[in-house]
Amino acid sequence: MRSRGMSTPHDRPDYTRRRFLTASGRVATGSWFTLALAWLPTLEACDADETKASGFQHLTRAEVRTMRALAAQIIPSGDGAPGADEARVVNFVDRAFGMTLYAASVPLVREGLADLDRRARAAGARAGFSALAAHEQTAILRTLDHEPFFAAARALVTIGMLVDPAYGGNAGGVGWTLIGVDHQPSYRAPFGWYDAQEVG
Amino acid sequence: MMPQRTFRETETVDFVVVGSGAAGGVLAKELSTAGFDVVVLEQGPLQRPNEFTHDELATEREGAMLNVAFEPYQSFRAGDEEPWSRNPARGLVYRRGVGGSSVHFAANYWRLRPIDFRERSVLGSIAGTSFADWPITYEELEPYYTKVDWEIGVSGAPGPFDARRSRPYPLPPMPNKSSGVLLERGARALGLHAQVAPVAILSQPYDGRSACMACGHCSYYGCEFNAKSSTLATVIPKAVATGRCEIRAESTAFRVETNSAGRATGVSYYDRDGREHRQGARAVILAANGAETARLLLLSESSRFPEGLANSSGAVGRNIMFNGHSSTFGVFEHPLNEYKGAVASRVVQDFYDTDPKRGFYGGGGIDARFNYGPIGFALDTLPPDVPKWGLEYKRALRRYFSRSVRFMAHITSLPVPTNTVTLDPDHRDRWGRPGLRLTYLDHPDDMKAKRWFRDRTHALMEAAGAAKVWDQPVTRIDGGVHLLGTARMGNDPKTSVVDRYHRAHDVPNLFVCDGSSFVTSGRGQPTMTIQALAFRAAEHIARFARSHAV
Repeated sequence: MRSRGMSTPHDRPDYTRRRFLTASGRVATGSWFTLALAWLPTLEACDADETKASGFQHLTRAEVRTMRALAAQIIPSGDGAPGADEARVVNFVDRAFGMTLYAASVPLVREGLADLDRRARAAGARAGFSALAAHEQTAILRTLDHEPFFAAARALVTIGMLVDPAYGGNAGGVGWTLIGVDHQPSYRAPFGWYDAQEVG
Repeated sequence: MMPQRTFRETETVDFVVVGSGAAGGVLAKELSTAGFDVVVLEQGPLQRPNEFTHDELATEREGAMLNVAFEPYQSFRAGDEEPWSRNPARGLVYRRGVGGSSVHFAANYWRLRPIDFRERSVLGSIAGTSFADWPITYEELEPYYTKVDWEIGVSGAPGPFDARRSRPYPLPPMPNKSSGVLLERGARALGLHAQVAPVAILSQPYDGRSACMACGHCSYYGCEFNAKSSTLATVIPKAVATGRCEIRAESTAFRVETNSAGRATGVSYYDRDGREHRQGARAVILAANGAETARLLLLSESSRFPEGLANSSGAVGRNIMFNGHSSTFGVFEHPLNEYKGAVASRVVQDFYDTDPKRGFYGGGGIDARFNYGPIGFALDTLPPDVPKWGLEYKRALRRYFSRSVRFMAHITSLPVPTNTVTLDPDHRDRWGRPGLRLTYLDHPDDMKAKRWFRDRTHALMEAAGAAKVWDQPVTRIDGGVHLLGTARMGNDPKTSVVDRYHRAHDVPNLFVCDGSSFVTSGRGQPTMTIQALAFRAAEHIARFARSHAV
């Protein structure tokens, strides 16, 4: 089957300039926190089973919980700035599971998440990886953070933190705020501290 | 773009131009303005400026506008004695779409210098290469460089080592960025010179287009403000406005047709649905880029041209050059915010010439930039000592993005006959054309040059006062975006594909003008020269056509 190729990428949202401008508007300080709170009930209701999580296209309930815990280990909350959890990185991961670009990562990440749960259960956490204390999660991840699964998951989490919010992650632009991007459609010089000194 | 005249396939037009990029756009505009009927076949779609987004995932990671999204499999081998395997990198990269790669390029517009055209005569032969002089000189090309400046719209200011120019830049420099200020600081400390980096981006309104809005999305992206001087924004609308040029998008050429007399008669192509068509023409011009032009010539073999069209020399697809690169990263105390503005505002050109005392061939220029989006930054640029996850990873993301800069050297690549683009019998593109295969092994001098320039970028970064400095490892080339040398110009039909007027030695009414025409690589940033060649070629081709000499 021949398709037209790149003009209408099949697996990304229809994306107009109007939507770009809407999505990239400046986020008021602290709005990430409100957004995160509003989102919590859905996840609290998750059971450790293999059915699709409510509101997700690809991830099961168990995968949502484990991915969310893993993401919070990779880019933690706290330290005065939002982390992967507040950025709703798991929403992006769910979207990414349906994208051609990440097709090769899906089985790797799926198996890796299941493996994290198996390890957690072996350590006595019946509900899986997310039920472990943070330091216990960290200890497990230290043993496998050179494995291909971890690299693939880390890439997805990082992208979910910094991607255009239209993809589900980087909720409210918190990832951009974290790294110091004043996200605007255009800018004026001076751009940075050093050129501002030259202008005087 | 305004409604355009369309030609019937049954008509024999004056010219079919394959490719609407840096060269094809210029050729279409010049020839249609001169009164000729022109059909441009462009394999990708027409995208208008309001379709360009700042979506890093789709644009940079997915490569949605690039050939690699359309033809994901490319074979590669590091030298002609190695086995083929799938290229783990992207390989030969260009943009599919009206305007070609001039739409998504960074728009750095360096001229070549007189030495580039006669370096073989000055330095002598180099073992393992086909190093040669160009059949033209800088002085012959200079009026056309100036034409590019003024017709395309280039912003800049002359530097201390620039070649003679017959007319000033039409537009003043872009604002200096923090990266430029820091490169100047490093250069001053080392007794070097940081000069304005010329760019094909409008610093002021020009020719009915608006000035740059400093959105920071030049490299990889299309410009929604039309301030980047792509052919989509500049010459293509003018070509269409003549009423003598049709830009036929989503038309993938697969064969230059020839007759028993050995003359080109037209071009066969696939439409967006894969149906075959043929456009007849009195003359054919290939401007499809250094990968696609080679593929098309090789695909157009026949009993008369068994090794591929215009390939009696065997030079088609050979001598591919990409320009070498090496880089040093630095993190500074205060924010630079390199995500704003054009890619580079200053460049050090003190090391342009080859210095035989160094013991190897090679020269280049060093600019300052940080052309990474947030995702690319986080995944591809952090120093090796930063943890890959956890609180320290988060702190590095938080601190480094706005404070990072890269001093990047853009360096010569030597023409090596065994470095080739060839047809892949085992993998095909979406239309069934044989895929692109790349054989490439850096010449030893190119590796030495990259290491030498890495030491220079490192010294500049230290001298600029970076709080943290680290080098990008010097690696071998496995692909790139500068696709040069695969149908080289020359006076000798035994060693070159086209003559000094871009006419194929073997086919009197076939012309080739794009990056493939390059004889040597220059020091990087080839598009300015590709367009100067195109303006010059168009003038001569029009002259030949008027005198019935095609």
